Amino acid sequence: MTRRRNLPTRILAWFVAGVISLLFVYPYLWMLSGAFRSTHDILAAPLHLWPKKIDLSGFAAIVDVGGVSLLRCLVNSVAITIASTALAVGVAALGAYAINRRPNALAFRLLRGGFLLSMMYPYMLLVIPVYLVMYHLDLLGGYTGIVLFLALGPIQFFLFEQFFRTIPPAMIEQAQIDGAGEVRILLRIVLPMARGVVATVAIITFLLNWAQWFPVMVISASPDTYTLPVALLNLNGELGTNFQGIMALAVITTIPPALLFLFAQRQVMSGMTEGAVKG
Amino acid sequence: MRERYSIVTVFHEVPTTRLWLRREAVFYLFAFPFAALTLLVGLWPIGLGVEVSFADSATAFAPLPQFVGWANYAAVLGDPGFLASLWRTVLYTALAVVANVGFALAYALLLDSPLLGPVRTLAKLLVFLPVITPEVAGYVVWRWLYDQSFGAVNAALALLHLPAFGGIAAQSTAMLAVLLAELWSHAGFYVVIFLANLAIVDRALLEAAAIDGANFMQRLYNVVLPQLRPAITINVVYALIQFLKTFTVVVVMTKGGPNGLTNFVSYAAYRLFDEARYGEATAMATILFALVILVALGAYLLAERGRE
Repeated sequence: MTRRRNLPTRILAWFVAGVISLLFVYPYLWMLSGAFRSTHDILAAPLHLWPKKIDLSGFAAIVDVGGVSLLRCLVNSVAITIASTALAVGVAALGAYAINRRPNALAFRLLRGGFLLSMMYPYMLLVIPVYLVMYHLDLLGGYTGIVLFLALGPIQFFLFEQFFRTIPPAMIEQAQIDGAGEVRILLRIVLPMARGVVATVAIITFLLNWAQWFPVMVISASPDTYTLPVALLNLNGELGTNFQGIMALAVITTIPPALLFLFAQRQVMSGMTEGAVKG
Repeated sequence: MRERYSIVTVFHEVPTTRLWLRREAVFYLFAFPFAALTLLVGLWPIGLGVEVSFADSATAFAPLPQFVGWANYAAVLGDPGFLASLWRTVLYTALAVVANVGFALAYALLLDSPLLGPVRTLAKLLVFLPVITPEVAGYVVWRWLYDQSFGAVNAALALLHLPAFGGIAAQSTAMLAVLLAELWSHAGFYVVIFLANLAIVDRALLEAAAIDGANFMQRLYNVVLPQLRPAITINVVYALIQFLKTFTVVVVMTKGGPNGLTNFVSYAAYRLFDEARYGEATAMATILFALVILVALGAYLLAERGRE
């Protein structure tokens, strides 16, 4: 009896979830089809998703984007994202670890407070004064300034801080009694335990930094240091419509993080949730 | 812990300074890169931003900027364009928070219900995918989805014999168009936060309520929602901060238009910065910073008080 009453509700639930899922995934399918369909085809039937004929002229059109080669933007994206991710993970891990081991030291309390304050400043607007700082340090137009700016974020610090709190102090005390120095404790005891959290933070940071465009655009002095999202923004802003090329570039920009996410979805979702709950 | 150190000291008979160095200095070394970076891309720029907000724009880059007192703030606050922009930002934020958190709550309840079974994992994945998609790529696609000739939105509406949607081009629909694109981009995050909270809701209490004859709405209001208070608080605070700062979607889709209707504060500040009006740009940024802190603090305090 319950089962019979449940069936219509069940169908309704499936239907609603199905429609919403379709609406969320449709822009991806449309983007993919737009990249492989000729402009003529799209204008004839904007809704269709399956190309009549695979047309690669969109990709051919973006071999050069706004005066810089697509390959260069791709290499920039990969290099800047990997460098800033590695730096972010190392810096946040060591910082959170030190603060966690000596939470009462005045310098560390000030540091934590200053960090939290910085993270409250609207990120997009922080870029404006960061431009002034980079100007003073003569870092405008290079990779260093971009990588440094992308290497600090709240979620990395919060995830590490949360993790270090779970390490039982007795474990570290035992190692001290056994005569281990702090560097040894860090490398031999803490690091092996932290493998999981390091991976999670690295994946999330990669996803976040891959998507960055505003700091990259502002700190860059020329398109030579542009990453894929910045190139895409430029292409989209150009006069004249290269619809197919825009979709092709959007596909190239989207695929790496989408694959990484599908590969590590559980870590990404739980990590981002935990980082938010703490922050 | 402290006593244990003293035992160690006596045991090894190491002079105290060397002990301090060995036991403490290493932590300062660990924290040094973090501190340096916090200063370099956090505190220094914020300080510099505040400083420049009191300086004449033309001298912002000079070693000794010329200070003009509150002139930049007066110029910003006296500009009817800024006040209009601020009003649009507040209105948009209110609408976006309600739409996103409301949708996320409803959708999370659906995904959490036993009605769906195993497909819920896939649905959760699909709703979260836009969160990790580079915003520029997502909004570029949305911009074209709304397009009158290329776009799928109006093609779909025509197919269903519905009136055309003006999208980002029409004054009456531009804000809604931006809101929908942002909902697509961000709502998955709020859904997952709700789902994490729903996973720890007391099932026994729900079953007891069901046995007592409470219907779905009664269970929702009296059993589920009170237990979802943490997620509601987090999501509302996050959404408030997120939408007050709305920026990328404006740059990609509307450039503040049509007729300034989506010219939110972040974008207005960026435009000033782009015109080398650094003093006013940083003054505007500082005002938004204060607003974000106030709103976040207010929402947090309100939530804390509601908890008691």
